[in-house]
Amino acid sequence: MSAKHALLGLLLDRSAYPYELADRLQARLGPAWEINSGQVYQTIRRMAADGLIEQVDGPAEGRTDRHIFAITERGASEFERWFGDTTEAARLARRPLLVKITLAGPARLKDALAQIDVYERDCAERIKELARERERVPESQGLQVRADHVLLRLGLSADIFQLEAELRWARHAHEMVCWLLDREAIWPSGRDRADASGQESKDRRAAREELFARMAARHLR
Amino acid sequence: MSLRLERVSKRYPRPGGGWRVALDGVSLEVDRGQMVGVFGPSGSGKTTLLQIAAGMQRPDEGTVIYDGERLDEMSASGRTRFRRREIACVWAGQVWQRRLSVLDHVSLPLLVDGRDHHGAERRAREALLVCEAEHCVGMELDELSDGERQRVAIARALVSEPRLLLADGPVSRLSLIEQEAIMVLLCSLAREAKVAVLIADSDAEALLRADPVLYLCDGKLVNPEPASERGRIYRFPPARARRAAGDA
Repeated sequence: MSAKHALLGLLLDRSAYPYELADRLQARLGPAWEINSGQVYQTIRRMAADGLIEQVDGPAEGRTDRHIFAITERGASEFERWFGDTTEAARLARRPLLVKITLAGPARLKDALAQIDVYERDCAERIKELARERERVPESQGLQVRADHVLLRLGLSADIFQLEAELRWARHAHEMVCWLLDREAIWPSGRDRADASGQESKDRRAAREELFARMAARHLR
Repeated sequence: MSLRLERVSKRYPRPGGGWRVALDGVSLEVDRGQMVGVFGPSGSGKTTLLQIAAGMQRPDEGTVIYDGERLDEMSASGRTRFRRREIACVWAGQVWQRRLSVLDHVSLPLLVDGRDHHGAERRAREALLVCEAEHCVGMELDELSDGERQRVAIARALVSEPRLLLADGPVSRLSLIEQEAIMVLLCSLAREAKVAVLIADSDAEALLRADPVLYLCDGKLVNPEPASERGRIYRFPPARARRAAGDA
């Protein structure tokens, strides 16, 4: 999803300056929502042009970042429409690392293994960071609880769980690639196979080309 | 070149009386450069289908047309001559002469055709090299592993440079890696040598590289789709569409 609906939700709470929205977005939803001010201003300008939000502290001229914005009726109904939409299905992640491993071929498989190790370490580090961050969010006790704290912990937990799954996958990928490196594997591309094993001799290639060419020529006669 | 079977039926007498239907109105087409797979359980009629396509048997009904020539109307000797010239077969569990050397075994089709011994051996060595079985040249057939036997069988099929290759269970009893290597070889035969390849197997995984794959059940091709514009000729969706449907 884009940041648009998250920003609309924040503006439903109260009107705000764009820079304040960027801070609140991350503070409420966690580091996965880190968004630079340029992106926020761009989104705010687009939303204002679409009539979803409006400037409420004076004339519309001047810099976007110096003005307070409020949600319009149209923006509120867009948020309701999005909130009520239940069609969003679970999506599978497209992992660039998986693409690299898949297309590495035998020649680059060891390099892919090194990248898996880096990814594994990175996942473990990020999990630790996020866990520390989650601990810093005050835990609500007693009958009265801070909903924003509880929900931020929930958001951070989502990120931690996701990274834990990534870490598990990376460890599995490490095992599988090591296993593959130990085997006499057949690769989809004949070129890769030849490069890996060095077994497809020039003689075989020449014999094959000659025989196949002769056989193909039979169809022309 | 194309092989075309139209409404082919075949039945065999049962020992106790009555008939067993092996093929019932089967139609299919294989073009040059195409690798068509026929998938079906044991006893579904795959071997009968290939034997009729090879001209080794005549259908009770229907026609077998090879490049415009009616194979089903030829005499037995005419079919044999035609088969030697155009078709090669790789049969599962093929019975081989046990004491023959690999080189002699692969050369044999050429020697039968009257090729000189030296020329036949040269071609046999070439076919064995292409099939990655050149190390078997000096061995006897008894000494070969299952994977080597299949490679040698394909080399023997290639030595006569056929335009149609029929293979019945070419990868049965082989390890997955051997299966893949053999199927890659057959696939390149279709793609590069423009041979029309028809493969039957009871293992659907073995036919992943074939396109289209036809499903044979109790002597009939099971057609999950309405007949195409070509009427009786059954065309299965391309592999890409099948994979997409499987992923969905």
